[in-house]
Amino acid sequence: MKHFVPMKARIEKDAVIRIRRSLKGKGALYVSAGQVVTPSEIIGNATVSAGFRTLDLSALLSVPPQEVEKYLVRNLNQRIYKGELLAYKKGWVLGGKKVVTSPTDGVLDFLNTKTGELKIAFLSKKADLPAGVYGVVEVADQERGQAVIRILASRVYGVFGSGRPRDGILKLVSKKDGLVAKDMIQPKYEGYVLAGGSLFFKDAISSAISCGVSGIITGGINAGDYRGMANGRLVFPERLDNDIGISVMVCEGFGAIPLGSDIFELFKEYEGKFVSIDGNKALINLPSPSESSLIKVKNTKLPPVQNDEGIAGTEHVEKTRELWIGAPVRIAGNSYPGEQGRVAALNDSLTLLPSGLKTYLATVETPRRKIQVPVANLEMIC
Amino acid sequence: MFKLAGLFSSFDNLDQISAESVASWLKNPPPPKQLENYLANRILYPGTLPLTASDMQTDLAILREALKMNKAPAGQRNNALLGDNPFLNTTLRKILIPAPFLDFVPDLVSLTWVFIDALLADRKKQDFFQDLWTIVLTDDTDETVGSLLLPQFKGGRGAVNLKLFDKNYRIQPGSLVVIPCAKDRCEIAYKIQGGMILGKAENSVEVCGGKLGLVVDGRSR
Repeated sequence: MKHFVPMKARIEKDAVIRIRRSLKGKGALYVSAGQVVTPSEIIGNATVSAGFRTLDLSALLSVPPQEVEKYLVRNLNQRIYKGELLAYKKGWVLGGKKVVTSPTDGVLDFLNTKTGELKIAFLSKKADLPAGVYGVVEVADQERGQAVIRILASRVYGVFGSGRPRDGILKLVSKKDGLVAKDMIQPKYEGYVLAGGSLFFKDAISSAISCGVSGIITGGINAGDYRGMANGRLVFPERLDNDIGISVMVCEGFGAIPLGSDIFELFKEYEGKFVSIDGNKALINLPSPSESSLIKVKNTKLPPVQNDEGIAGTEHVEKTRELWIGAPVRIAGNSYPGEQGRVAALNDSLTLLPSGLKTYLATVETPRRKIQVPVANLEMIC
Repeated sequence: MFKLAGLFSSFDNLDQISAESVASWLKNPPPPKQLENYLANRILYPGTLPLTASDMQTDLAILREALKMNKAPAGQRNNALLGDNPFLNTTLRKILIPAPFLDFVPDLVSLTWVFIDALLADRKKQDFFQDLWTIVLTDDTDETVGSLLLPQFKGGRGAVNLKLFDKNYRIQPGSLVVIPCAKDRCEIAYKIQGGMILGKAENSVEVCGGKLGLVVDGRSR
């Protein structure tokens, strides 16, 4: 009896691919097509507008909103630095004196006299763009502030995710089966891609967004939290356009499911290295940290860049393949989710399950145990 | 023959089902978050099979809600030649059960029970003819597998005494009973205390039989 199962690509090692490096604001690229770049090389510089902060001066001064303006000691559109006096209200003998200092460097942008709120625009700053990778520049688009670089990289494909492409340094924050809570997300992880565990709790995801973490890679996620990232839906079309300020890639499924050993072991090799994550495509690029990768990159030609698709990632098509004894498999669904092993035996006759269904079973040998599962619940991994 | 990839492959709005509504069909429901993750994994991996009895019960609960959601919106129920749900033909009073669903549930009784719960449990009867439905398995060719009888008890008391092939059955309010009736047509005689069937307290009728038989659903509605 032949059994066919879906074949899922999880890891693609040492492939020559293209990645895009983009300036975070208006600026200039310092590279040109054909140029070889190294990770520490600055390939561009941009002026980054960093947003704004709102202060409720009416509440801080304990005055009606329309009276806030007369207590301001700085004029609008004036620059102010953190700790400098912003507003002052004289007190009486029994108190009532109010002193408000600026919580940040910025420019006094706008005072709303109806609400008493003051908007302080953060000072824009110059940001260098390092190459982050060993590679050859194929396109340097000054207008869009984007460089397309040909590199050697390993790729990891998740099950689903959310968020536009981002990059950062890979940091493992837990064991492959750990639960990631809020207190494990630290401000020093700004710009990092955090990988870990079987589940990131909702408050950990919120904290990561607040800290400016670029991305999260997890084994599982709670369905309700994913709904929050995906416009309230749980559908998985080919193309997604979600973004909540962080890129998230889920490698196994919903609930607390340990990150697969294959992916986790690869991440260990790349910890502290530059990686890029595309949540909507559920894809991680792990650029080779070795200078010798340039030899293969220089000797490999890719088809011409036609559009963004050719850069963002090749489509990995799911195929079906005949199952054989010894095949590497992963268990999908709600029983033994995400467990990996090799097929030890395949039943030729139907077996009655406790659920009442009759189906063909396979024995899967994992590093810890042997388990029998329906062939329908298996995916062959490669 | 049409082959389903999974029990839920033909439903594209499973994510609209709430964990609470699924839990309402389960005796010992897991916590809502766990149930929501279970449902999400069924959407993500529609072709996988439930291993345990409790997982099967959860799948059947999800199927009940999925079938209920296939009802046409309230404002679009006027053209009721075929009914307000693709699994009901109200003109011919047929419950239409896709045969491929049987690949993913233990037996026809469980599957029929799901369809009755989802489609008829809270359905307002327009006339007493809707006390009797024919159950049909649909595929390339349709197969009549039995009938459903819905006695109307007044005040939740009484009983149905039913005679089929010289055997007597007594059905209490609140129970659902499946009576074997393998022939194409089966004649039943009934007498109901404290209620009516097809507008009468006592009568003989001919119903469709089949591999399922006669389902008598005495649960209050």
